[in-house]
Amino acid sequence: MLTIICRSILIYFIVLLVYRLMGKRQIGQMQPFELVLTLIIADLATIPMAEVSVPVLHGIVPLLTLVVVHFLLTLITMASQGVSKLISGKPSIIINPKGIDYKAMKKLSLTTDDIFAALRECGYFNISQIQYAIMETNGKLSVMPKAQFSPVTNGDMKLKVDESFLPIILVSEGKIMKENIILAGYSKEKVEELIRLHGGDKLKNVLLLTVDKLGQGYIQMIEKEGESFQTERLVQHESL
Amino acid sequence: MRAFNIVNLFIIIFLLVGICLAEEMVVNSSLKDVQNRCFEIVQIINEKESLKDMDVVLAVDNLEYNWTKNEGNLCCMVNHKNIQEIGQEIAKMKIHIANDDRDAFKVCIESLKLYCHSYLHFMGANLHNIL
Repeated sequence: MLTIICRSILIYFIVLLVYRLMGKRQIGQMQPFELVLTLIIADLATIPMAEVSVPVLHGIVPLLTLVVVHFLLTLITMASQGVSKLISGKPSIIINPKGIDYKAMKKLSLTTDDIFAALRECGYFNISQIQYAIMETNGKLSVMPKAQFSPVTNGDMKLKVDESFLPIILVSEGKIMKENIILAGYSKEKVEELIRLHGGDKLKNVLLLTVDKLGQGYIQMIEKEGESFQTERLVQHESL
Repeated sequence: MRAFNIVNLFIIIFLLVGICLAEEMVVNSSLKDVQNRCFEIVQIINEKESLKDMDVVLAVDNLEYNWTKNEGNLCCMVNHKNIQEIGQEIAKMKIHIANDDRDAFKVCIESLKLYCHSYLHFMGANLHNIL
């Protein structure tokens, strides 16, 4: 049993490493060859984990081989549009201004129900609202609504609004985020002063403290209500 | 990031090549050692009248000792179940020595040779195995 436990831990970390090496794209938007890879990896990992007579190397070697194949395929698809189309396919327009493209629908083996389900997922319940719908190579539907059904933006209304910026988390669950403090141009003392200023006593009692480039902040103490505040604008930083 | 990926790629390729070479070397050396020792034992038993002779006993003990040593390395590379027959045949050989059963002993030696030959075939890298 101890062998199985040790093997499981070892293989878990190897599979984790394999996914990290393959990059974040692998988890969210899978291309066909990435999906195949994921399915094989799941199967390969379980064999040496459960079967003690099979050496762990019999699991590791195929996993590493697949990583190499994946890397090479990714490099080739990045370098050549033709190979990319061959392996991943190309996006297909399934709805155009004239309506559903029947040929494209049949080519993709889709039914009208599938198309409607995908449209509803995108927030559109009526096909007459759609100008274009494109089936991406990862199986997701991208929708471009007709002009009269597009959401109104500040630009359409000619409204002048400040750009919004990502809030930087300075304190999370009582812990100071050192890298973020440097990013915001703050010091630990300044953060503590900010906490005192907004009714906080100790750093460990702070659930969340954030601030953005415009100086708009939010602080919440543990088991208390959160409060928004305004402080001075942050020093310009290229990554903000 | 791309440079990092390419470095990783080369590290993994080197690692895989290293593992393949190590496997080839361990499998070849271990099985050929057993084959050579089998030929030596055949020569010894042809010269001796009884299997209970000290030379035969020593040769089989040496075969068992070396196999046990090599089996550990082989188990890191190949499925344990695929190589357990060799250990079983060596154990049978020791019983046949105790019974002085020459014919059964020879059968075991031939089985050992056959196992080594077939293992060398299916554990090695060749087109038949790939297909």
